[in-house]
Amino acid sequence: MKWYTCKLDDDGDAGTGIYNHFLLAFLRKYNFNNILNMKKIACIFCGLLFAFTTVAQESVSLNDLSFFKQPPSSWKLATDVKADLSSANSLITSNGTGVLVNLPGKSAPGADLFSNLEHGDADLELDYLMAKGSNSGIYLQGNYEIQLMDNWGNARKGFDDNGGIYQRWDEKRGKGNEGFEGYAPRQVVSRAPGLWQHLKISFQAPRFDAAGKKTENAKLLRVELNGVLIHENVELSGPTRGALGAEKKMGPIRFQGDHGAVAFRNIKFTNFSKPRPELGSLSYAVYKGLFEKEPDFSKLRTEIQGTSAVLSSNFSNLPDTFLIRYVGTIKVSEAGDYNFNLLPGGGQGSLKINNQVVVPFVRRSRPMKVTLPSGELPFELLYSKFLDWAQPSIGLTISGPGIREYRISDANSVAPEPVDPILIEATQNKVLRSFIDIPGRRIVHAVSVGSPSGIHYTYDLDNGAIAQVWRGNFLDATPMWHERGDGSSRATGSVILLEKPVLNIASLSSSSATWPSDTTRTGFRPKGYTLDPEDRPVFKYNIYGTKVSDSTRVMANGEGLTRQISILNPGKDLYVRLASAKTIEDSGNGLYVLDDKLYYLKIEDAGGAKPVIRDANNLKELIIPVKNKIKYAILF
Amino acid sequence: MPSFFKNDMSMKSHNTNCLIKLFFFTTMVLQTTLVQAQESAKEEDFFRIMKVSSPEGTILEVGGLCTLPNGDLAVTTRRGDVFIVENPESARPFFRKFASGLHEVLGVAYKDGSLYCVQRGELTKMTDTNRDGKADVFETIYAWPLTGNYHEYSFGPKLAPDGSFFVTLNLGFPDDWWHPRSMAPWRGWALHIQENGTMEPWAAGLRSPAGISMIDGELFYTENQGDWVGSGHIMQLKKGTFAGHPASLIWENIPNSPVKVTQQQIFAKIDQRREVDQNGRPQKPQNIVNEQFMTVADMQQYVPQLQLPAVWMPHGILGISNTEIVKIPQGVFGPFAGQLLVGDQGQSNLNRVFMEEIDGQLQGAVWMFRSGFQSGIIRLAWGKDGTLFVGESNRGWGSAGDSNQGLQKLIWNNRLPFEMRTIKVMPDGFEIEFTKPVDKKYTEDIASYTVESHTYKYHAVYGSPAVNILKHTIKGVKVSPDGMKARIIVDNMRKHYVHTITLEGVRDQENSYSLIHPTAYYTLHNIPQGKKLELGEVSTKNSAIAVGAVGAVSKNSSVKTSSSTKPATYAEIEPLLKKHTCATCHKTDTKLVGPSFQEIAQRKYSVEKIVDLIYNPQPANWSDYAVSMPPMAQVPKDDVQKLAGWIKSLERK
Repeated sequence: MKWYTCKLDDDGDAGTGIYNHFLLAFLRKYNFNNILNMKKIACIFCGLLFAFTTVAQESVSLNDLSFFKQPPSSWKLATDVKADLSSANSLITSNGTGVLVNLPGKSAPGADLFSNLEHGDADLELDYLMAKGSNSGIYLQGNYEIQLMDNWGNARKGFDDNGGIYQRWDEKRGKGNEGFEGYAPRQVVSRAPGLWQHLKISFQAPRFDAAGKKTENAKLLRVELNGVLIHENVELSGPTRGALGAEKKMGPIRFQGDHGAVAFRNIKFTNFSKPRPELGSLSYAVYKGLFEKEPDFSKLRTEIQGTSAVLSSNFSNLPDTFLIRYVGTIKVSEAGDYNFNLLPGGGQGSLKINNQVVVPFVRRSRPMKVTLPSGELPFELLYSKFLDWAQPSIGLTISGPGIREYRISDANSVAPEPVDPILIEATQNKVLRSFIDIPGRRIVHAVSVGSPSGIHYTYDLDNGAIAQVWRGNFLDATPMWHERGDGSSRATGSVILLEKPVLNIASLSSSSATWPSDTTRTGFRPKGYTLDPEDRPVFKYNIYGTKVSDSTRVMANGEGLTRQISILNPGKDLYVRLASAKTIEDSGNGLYVLDDKLYYLKIEDAGGAKPVIRDANNLKELIIPVKNKIKYAILF
Repeated sequence: MPSFFKNDMSMKSHNTNCLIKLFFFTTMVLQTTLVQAQESAKEEDFFRIMKVSSPEGTILEVGGLCTLPNGDLAVTTRRGDVFIVENPESARPFFRKFASGLHEVLGVAYKDGSLYCVQRGELTKMTDTNRDGKADVFETIYAWPLTGNYHEYSFGPKLAPDGSFFVTLNLGFPDDWWHPRSMAPWRGWALHIQENGTMEPWAAGLRSPAGISMIDGELFYTENQGDWVGSGHIMQLKKGTFAGHPASLIWENIPNSPVKVTQQQIFAKIDQRREVDQNGRPQKPQNIVNEQFMTVADMQQYVPQLQLPAVWMPHGILGISNTEIVKIPQGVFGPFAGQLLVGDQGQSNLNRVFMEEIDGQLQGAVWMFRSGFQSGIIRLAWGKDGTLFVGESNRGWGSAGDSNQGLQKLIWNNRLPFEMRTIKVMPDGFEIEFTKPVDKKYTEDIASYTVESHTYKYHAVYGSPAVNILKHTIKGVKVSPDGMKARIIVDNMRKHYVHTITLEGVRDQENSYSLIHPTAYYTLHNIPQGKKLELGEVSTKNSAIAVGAVGAVSKNSSVKTSSSTKPATYAEIEPLLKKHTCATCHKTDTKLVGPSFQEIAQRKYSVEKIVDLIYNPQPANWSDYAVSMPPMAQVPKDDVQKLAGWIKSLERK
């Protein structure tokens, strides 16, 4: 057990970490009145807790700012936040906690926010919300920036746009040449200001030798924005512009605050600081034959034997069916839980550590968890291959709290031939029919419409409804066009699922009558679509004895889609269901915010009718009476 | 063009002359005894397969083909595109993309300036209203329900004479795909749809109706071998027809259904064979070799709406997945005008059919016509000048031609091939008409003919081996004076059986060539009344009995079992590979529908293991192959033993 010194900061508060927060709460509950004593105790415990840190993912509490180091005054907490779409850098907050907001202003100049904790290899996941025209960033270790930006309406895709890895900067390169590297996101998958965006980062810290010299660059293993992979295995040759300082093994998480208003919530963090177990003193013996049960090794003849530096099945003279037995040690630096996943090629395997069975010798085993003490532990692995024509491969990976999954055996993979993906780009306006899967359902008469602006939607012909909208690239048709296929394609950009499709038009006896769940007695009949001169479809169907024309267009300003439903001979009591969502907030002037700030809906022309928000099935519905037409926008 | 070996007699020395004469004489003798003379003409000498050139990168997994009145070809693809191909017969046709983004278009028809196509989910009318070469109106004429199962393919449309449409719908494949099901209304049915969108259900009992076709204004289709379908066949679909597969009957009680057959009627007589393995999981039922069984004809006694196949296409011999049927127009393909051609997706070949109606029942003969297409044949359409356009794809299934797409054409060079033109049933046998006069000597010899008959089981197992095989005696032959016809008296003809008629020994008068396709498969339902031949007017000559071993090496005689353990040679094995249809899916050294024999040998199985795998194939061992091998329970043990020994001998040491 190590003792850590806690620095007492300016206010006399211990520079507390997450654990101290819980501890303080505990102490307060039990009425420790002497504050200073409380903090001293907290300090000691802080040290104790760090010594035994083997945590999995944890949420950063935003009930107070204790996670952060000396938070500058522009940073506050709120319970909710809203963007004003008409004025730049304007966020409106509601009092409370749970959301971290940066509101730079004259009295509270914008400045960056740092976490108390420092990290090496880590995963970070959070939601963020931009104000209009705003600009922020997340710096891993304070040094490597992922740009956060309001790019709404422009499909610019640069290192300095939303999701980009910011460029490096060196004055010495000469005027005009100072900026270099920086990586644009693979797709533009941004959302409008005032909507929550989701960022998931897997980061690998730079490696240094004993003398402190860098031996390996930092890497962004994965960056996912709004569910789409935008960076993968990007090596960072050095800190990005405006870095905190020199590259180090550990550094704080840094939130940029000097460029604009931004909000964060649901910050989750995983530290991978535990050292990886290492194998040593490996010796092996290969036995010829088909082994489905563990044999008595004393009775067998060895075909091949020797010692090895790595756990491998890469021998040139292996028989078609065999059993390899590896014996050695595994050095565990930190006691705790570890997961072992053994996927041997063409057979089965087993694993014994510290004389305990970790993975039993059976077919189709699954990942096994074991608690190991620290030290050099005896290690035994068996790999039996009984499919004579399969490729040999051991396939052992290790993961666990503090350890990102990695392969410890030799990478002689039995992976099948990779498939060439069949990707559909919408370089011109494009229509593609396919099955489309949404949670719980396969839409069988679906038409996806793509545009060069990178904004697309899927229309369900069986309901006359838009099932999903997305920004980014258009479709991946591999599921339907590779081999037999399954008839479906998938959106490749960042999808916003609208409600589960139902008929969008219904005849209701009153504004509180239940919306029909199917097309019975409506006379609904799909009639297909026509293409306008720009190849954009106008959908047609019959309902209640009249004709409907349903046309959705990408907005010229790139902010979303406008939809117009026209009814030739409307009967009375017809309503259009504009949305069904968990939450619907009326922002005034016909603007609604839906599903906890997932997307906006703006009514543009309702012919004077008044929309109604009502409850239905634990959800909110937005319906509006309709005569000849309704026009509205889906903004995202 | 093949050249008949002619000896140049103008040699100088007498000795050489003698040698030549001796050689020539020997060759002549050998000619009479060698059954398949090397020099006989082949299919490709008369019908040439050529590609239709298309711009590089155009993906032509063809699902639909039709010819427009101006000679353009409409081509639809499984990628959802519709092309209009202008000047398709030329060396450089022009491709215009008429429409795209449709959902797996498996058929197209032209009517009154619009193209009608069938996508997975609907019958769509596509019109170019502003005449810029691209469709701008896509009207849903009729949409049908789907579950989203990948196997719910939809085919058509075919135009009826009154301008209405027919569409056929596949069954869906659940996890236990050997018992396909109709999981949404009308799967496994043929639908009749009007321009105004009204639909009447037309026929039921379909399984895999990719070969929807119109012949002389009547709806026909080809069914593919599977459960309840012993072998692929051509069948007419009249209103109210039950085609045989019981799955679609679950919708028969929908008010306007013309099909009045229940599943109960079928299952009361035939076991559904829903079996599970020792772990309780559903398992694929296998053919039981010695059992009582019913045939389609047997079942028809109890279910009169059960339609009999007009012409069976023997599985593994003529095809494995039959597709479109077209009628050869007048003035096209010479002697075959008016007959039918049928495509096959798995064997990449075309078959030729001659149909006749006897006492109100369609029946007739089918021959192999042309093989060697680059992918699986799905659609056929005639060009204005007698070219046959062939639309192909095999993606997901594999085929003899290993490309996964193709748009080709078949052209006749106007030379007359020596073939059987028609086979008509007679009160006492069959009358075969030839395309060219035959050499009477061979044609009057009973030994030149063999007739065998067999049928198929109607059961819940995937496919059926040929069963109740009987070899028939030919009592006599009468050849017409002009040498164009031969009528054989065949004893014991059996109604509802496929009669395999092989004319191995027949030669043409002109060149002494053998028939390009010496085997015909005649599906016999009814035997006509009429005048039988007198024994006095026929030849009863039989060289097989008279001459003995010399000159009687017939391919149909069984290969003598060798008692030594030496593996058989390829020459000895080849007839077995053909007879038991192994050659349909396996070649010696190249991948086909299944792995090559050499590749199988590389797995280093023992001979016993290979025997076991022939009877109980393990598709999981060959996960790269899309089509599973059926168990070959019907192949006799010694033949399997021989085949296994030969395969083992291909193992590289």
